[in-house]
Amino acid sequence: MPLKNFIMNKLLLGLFIISFAFFSCEKDNYDGPTAGLSGTFIDALTNKPIEQDIINGTTIELIEKGYNPVTPQYLIVKTNGTYENSQLFANTYTVRPVRGNFIDIAAQEVVINGETKLDFVVTPYIRVKEANISKVGTKVIATFKLEQNVLNPIRKISLYAHSDSRLGDGMRLAVSEKTINVVAVPNTVYTIEMDLPSNSSTLKPGLDYYFRVGALINVPEAKPNYAPAVKLVI
Amino acid sequence: MNTNNIKICILLASVFMLGCDKVLDLQPTDRLTANTIFGDPKGVEIYMANLYSQLPIEDFTYMKQGFNYNQSGPNNGGQCSSMFTDEATHSESGAGVGDGDFQWWADGYKLMRDVNILVDVIPTLQISDQERKSLIGESAFIKAFAYFGLAKRYGGVPLIKNSQVYSGDAESLKVPRSTEQETWDYVLSLCDTAIENLGDATGRRATKWAAYALKSRAALHAASLAKFGNLAPQSGIAVTEKLVGLDASLANNYYKAAISASEAIMKSGKFQLFKPTPANPQEAAENYRLLFQDPNANGATVEAIFIKGHAIVGNFQGHNYDIWFQPAQTANGWPHPGRMNPTLDLADSYESYTNPGKSTPIVTTMDNNTNDYNGYNPSQNYIKYNTPNEIFKDKDARLWATSILPGTIWKDKTIIIQAGYVKPDGLAVIRTSANMTISGTTYYTYGASSTSLYSGFDGFGGNNTKTGFGFKKFMNQLSPIVPGWNQSTTDFIEFRYAEILLNFAEAVVESGTGDPIAAAKAINDIRRRAAHKIDIPLTVENVQRERKVELAFEHKRFWDLIRRREFHTLFNSSSMHSLMPLRDLRALPATKFIFVRVNAPNINPRTFITRSYYRAIPGIGSNGLVQNPEY
Repeated sequence: MPLKNFIMNKLLLGLFIISFAFFSCEKDNYDGPTAGLSGTFIDALTNKPIEQDIINGTTIELIEKGYNPVTPQYLIVKTNGTYENSQLFANTYTVRPVRGNFIDIAAQEVVINGETKLDFVVTPYIRVKEANISKVGTKVIATFKLEQNVLNPIRKISLYAHSDSRLGDGMRLAVSEKTINVVAVPNTVYTIEMDLPSNSSTLKPGLDYYFRVGALINVPEAKPNYAPAVKLVI
Repeated sequence: MNTNNIKICILLASVFMLGCDKVLDLQPTDRLTANTIFGDPKGVEIYMANLYSQLPIEDFTYMKQGFNYNQSGPNNGGQCSSMFTDEATHSESGAGVGDGDFQWWADGYKLMRDVNILVDVIPTLQISDQERKSLIGESAFIKAFAYFGLAKRYGGVPLIKNSQVYSGDAESLKVPRSTEQETWDYVLSLCDTAIENLGDATGRRATKWAAYALKSRAALHAASLAKFGNLAPQSGIAVTEKLVGLDASLANNYYKAAISASEAIMKSGKFQLFKPTPANPQEAAENYRLLFQDPNANGATVEAIFIKGHAIVGNFQGHNYDIWFQPAQTANGWPHPGRMNPTLDLADSYESYTNPGKSTPIVTTMDNNTNDYNGYNPSQNYIKYNTPNEIFKDKDARLWATSILPGTIWKDKTIIIQAGYVKPDGLAVIRTSANMTISGTTYYTYGASSTSLYSGFDGFGGNNTKTGFGFKKFMNQLSPIVPGWNQSTTDFIEFRYAEILLNFAEAVVESGTGDPIAAAKAINDIRRRAAHKIDIPLTVENVQRERKVELAFEHKRFWDLIRRREFHTLFNSSSMHSLMPLRDLRALPATKFIFVRVNAPNINPRTFITRSYYRAIPGIGSNGLVQNPEY
């Protein structure tokens, strides 16, 4: 076979394969997700965002309509109380925050189309108020008050430390905890100390670390409530 | 109709009848009938061997990836359930329990179908009544074992009590989940059927005693879920439909079932602890080691109630504990030893002989502070020891038999586990390969000059322990390892008498029912076998400590943490700990060692999330079952 013919044949074969490949792509492809859901958990009393955990924290359960059985999707929430999923399929969803750090709210039907906003106005189990975290000598000392909105006892109060600003119960290099197991007394100043020398393998002197106080209510599946994180040089 | 037509009709009819008789009634030649298999004792053996091989027995081939993980090239780093508990950490990876880990779903229902086929034909078999009774008991045992394997992973599951027949409609084969209570009750009732029908003999196949042992374990598991479930509450459809979770009021009945099943074994006189009264801790350690190295030798069968054997080497036959977990010094050419690293946390749990009834953390400093994990501190006053293992001198014999301690002999070699040295100027060189020569003698940070001469702390190949402890329990000391896959044939004791005693003691102390004197004797008998001579009282803490150290690495700890709902509090950004032996060159010419308690180096902290108390059910899209919470 002359070389030219051979090359032509190969080219034609190549074109054929490519056109076949494109054809099959077109046939198999569905549109990607075009919608998204975002918003903030807001304290009904103070109108401020409610601080959260990024690991093992409050989640938002989404159940998409039109499928049975359907596997729920769970969105996680940022530490500052905001959340966003920009990769959802436009549809009607049953939306419900679950396993949170606030009094349960009912599920709602939400049409998610384009960039949909949805804030949750809720009552936190506990407000960690007037939090002050400072370094005193070789200790980091946190003082704060607790205001609780349910009758359950408070399980524990904690002071967390991490090099990342998104620290919390599920993300920490060091922690000091006190078990409480009683209802918080209003206007009492609670104090937790973290001794820095006894955490010297994880908290290195001279570096920046974030510290955050949290309080956990004794409610099934509840997550801790927090004051905002504070950066300190130790 | 003329005669010709009649003749044709008769001819046709006779052809059809002939056909019925001779063609359609022929036995198919490509399959065996139930009577062919079960009418022949050899056929029964083959079918039963297949069922037993599918049993979810958590032996040496039970890995993160599932059961019978001994196919060709089972290259998973030897990750087994102990490394997900506080018993051990892997030398390379520290992981939490993932959603896909330790699953047993489709294989479970395959076994269930195979055993149901047997159950269906038992009444039709031409066998003696005695043989029929045994088969009824044995099949009930296998089903109970299998449903226990499912229930402890998934909670309430579909109960396929008889084999299903496919008639063209797949929907009709779908069975919804039963409640968790119904599932546990079914497991226990199958145990009762097995107990009633199985014989009194002991042996490798299911016996009455193996069925009692299974009931003891399963009932204790269910009782614990009922009692401790509220430590990790969950929500969702599976919870509201009671597919997971047991009401707290059910606890005591399950505890009572565990007590009476355990008592049946204890009062049978058929079993006892292997070598129950050693003269000293050294003898106790050797006895305990022998029990696991070969449960068939030296009379150890007195303790074994049910054994899974590994008779021959090779794919789907042998296992890989000896290659994965061998100290680097005795790896015999195998390139990836040293993966199982028992933790300091486990070593701390053992009692010392001078302080009975207490977990005795290993003290390294004059100020007795065992909570400092911040590493070597030149100004700290460390206790100086004469040998790398003098620090463990007073510790429970089982620590010595479960772990290879620094400077002890294994396979005729002194196993060197050293993390570094303290130079004469007081500065330490730790977990770095270095050496220094003083007065003509060269000292090495890892205790020897090359990677084949030590077994600790060097990151080389992931082959050395990171915790300061090597792995000894179950390891075969008799012969050099064969550096290849599936070459180990150690038998595994699935049920042993010591577990029954521990189940009994726990059920008594948790429920406040039963005989507390017998329960205290149960844990003290086990301690006596470990050379303890001072009895301790029956308390929750004493029972749990005893269980943790006696059954260490038998894949029980994982389920103890699950059923008592202790996993998520034990592992919440938690580090496991190591004990670093350092050669103290400040003491030259004397040979001295100091020890430093640290977080296990280069291993991520672990977190157990509460949804992992139940595994995710696979294939929800096609089987239509209700998924477990949070998946």
